[in-house]
Amino acid sequence: MIMPVRLREKPLVVTLPCKMKSLKKARATVRKYLTRHGLEEEAPDVELAMQEALKNIIQHACPADEKMSFTITPFDDRLIIEVLDKGHGFDVGIVKSEPHDPMALRGRGIQIMKGLMDDVEISSGMDGTVVRMEKTRGSKNEARGQSKQDMLSS
Amino acid sequence: MHLEVEEKEGFNIVSVVGELDVYTVPLFRKVLLKIEGDRKHDIVLDLSKMTFIDSSGIGSLIETYQKVTSSEGSIVFVVENPRILKILKMVNLDSVFNIFSNLGKAFQFVGVSSGYIDEDFFSDKIERR
Repeated sequence: MIMPVRLREKPLVVTLPCKMKSLKKARATVRKYLTRHGLEEEAPDVELAMQEALKNIIQHACPADEKMSFTITPFDDRLIIEVLDKGHGFDVGIVKSEPHDPMALRGRGIQIMKGLMDDVEISSGMDGTVVRMEKTRGSKNEARGQSKQDMLSS
Repeated sequence: MHLEVEEKEGFNIVSVVGELDVYTVPLFRKVLLKIEGDRKHDIVLDLSKMTFIDSSGIGSLIETYQKVTSSEGSIVFVVENPRILKILKMVNLDSVFNIFSNLGKAFQFVGVSSGYIDEDFFSDKIERR
């Protein structure tokens, strides 16, 4: 198995209060970090996926320590993004089987994360939830994104 | 985010300028509810100056669509930003909303005379002999 090569950049590690006002700060921090490392192309998708993951924590997880964290680790061909909380967790099976009614007013965050990222895994238990997302870097990602778009418009 | 509202031939042209997300949805809802309260049901929702939307913003667009259509009004959307269009397609709203790539096309569809003629809009309907 070939492991991706990690770049020289240090991973971004951020812990924030579990409050709505933290979302703006999270997005600005993500944008600054990715831009500084020449990853402007990936920044808008990562910003939105991150906002959705953090918003889910604020609205549903209620962590006892009132904190939430995220990390971004750049590899040569992809970004690994992890969003964590120490809340009460939830039944991941419900999310996986959730139908996507286009007219539902809520419950679209995970659908957006999956649409923007190349891979999304959610593990949840009594001691918290980890959302792990992968985003392919550069042109390979654009090509994959385009094929997704083609599918959507067909 | 701020909203620009203009009335034209019975339609409210509502332009969203900036980000429509969990922070700004309350203002958006307040303005749209006021328009609803005034019984001015037909809306052109211009999202061409929108720079960011999240799931809360999407929920507010759906809520507006449902309110307008349930009171037998018309609503069309203008989306120029490819990123915003990508997000709306991702959640399958392109199959529900009437989305146009510019304001002129939206006006022509709803029958508002804006003084703008988009020849491309009619081009595929011209029969050449």
